[in-house]
Amino acid sequence: MRTAITSEQPSPAYRGKIALWWLIASEIMIFGGAVSSYILTRTASTGWPAEAAHLSIALATVNTFFLLTSSMTMAMAFAAYEKMDQRGVRTFLLFTILLGLAFLGIKAYEYTSHIGAGLAPWSGSFWAFYYMLTGLHALHVIAGLIVNVTLLLAARKGLGVGYRIEIAGLYWHFVDIVWIFLFPLLYLSY
Amino acid sequence: MAADRVHSHHIATWVWLVVLMLVGVFATVLPLDRSVIVGLIFAVATVKAALVARNYMHLKSENWLIYAIAVIPVLLAVAMTFVLYWDVLRHY
Repeated sequence: MRTAITSEQPSPAYRGKIALWWLIASEIMIFGGAVSSYILTRTASTGWPAEAAHLSIALATVNTFFLLTSSMTMAMAFAAYEKMDQRGVRTFLLFTILLGLAFLGIKAYEYTSHIGAGLAPWSGSFWAFYYMLTGLHALHVIAGLIVNVTLLLAARKGLGVGYRIEIAGLYWHFVDIVWIFLFPLLYLSY
Repeated sequence: MAADRVHSHHIATWVWLVVLMLVGVFATVLPLDRSVIVGLIFAVATVKAALVARNYMHLKSENWLIYAIAVIPVLLAVAMTFVLYWDVLRHY
């Protein structure tokens, strides 16, 4: 007597989600290690508040607003995908990309202002940490933008973005969460 | 109808995030002890991160495996900082 062997394979969407969460777990350790080093070095150092006072809280607040809003538009792009609203997917992806670009534009302005004022990555421990943490975060924003632009181009050509938009959204929201902690750490807590 | 509810839920989450962002910024000018202010702004940041993770990353409806993958590295990173923090504080 033969019995049928069946196996329940997880769907590609679930496998993709698990893979992305593993990536996020490794990213948490990367940013966690960097942030931990910053907190410990700052605890052991004096004079950092004077250095941190050069940072603009107003610009960082606007940038935080941009990233928080981009998280909402990314979540709405996924919601539009779930109700098969292709136009909604394209519109909300476009808003997410524009907000990400605005964030990078302000960050670039901050960098050029600081470097113009002689505050470069080699100007002391605080600035080395500042450029390392925000630069690493900016690289993640750029990576997220590349993914989002790819999805937008696919959607504009009528190709389905599928579950990939949920995966891209998870990554984008994680990048937002990293900034949620970098903002008070670098700009507000001196 | 359900999609409209999802959109309004996302907007409500965003409003909370923006309000909490402003609370964090204005907390810096409160006439309180520095350590209290720092504790407050990081508590606000933690609530904001939880809102994004629960509502936008859908953690509230995920299974235990994804929770474990997300939470274990966070606990490790926090533990690493706290364990070393007291040592640094004692020596500097």
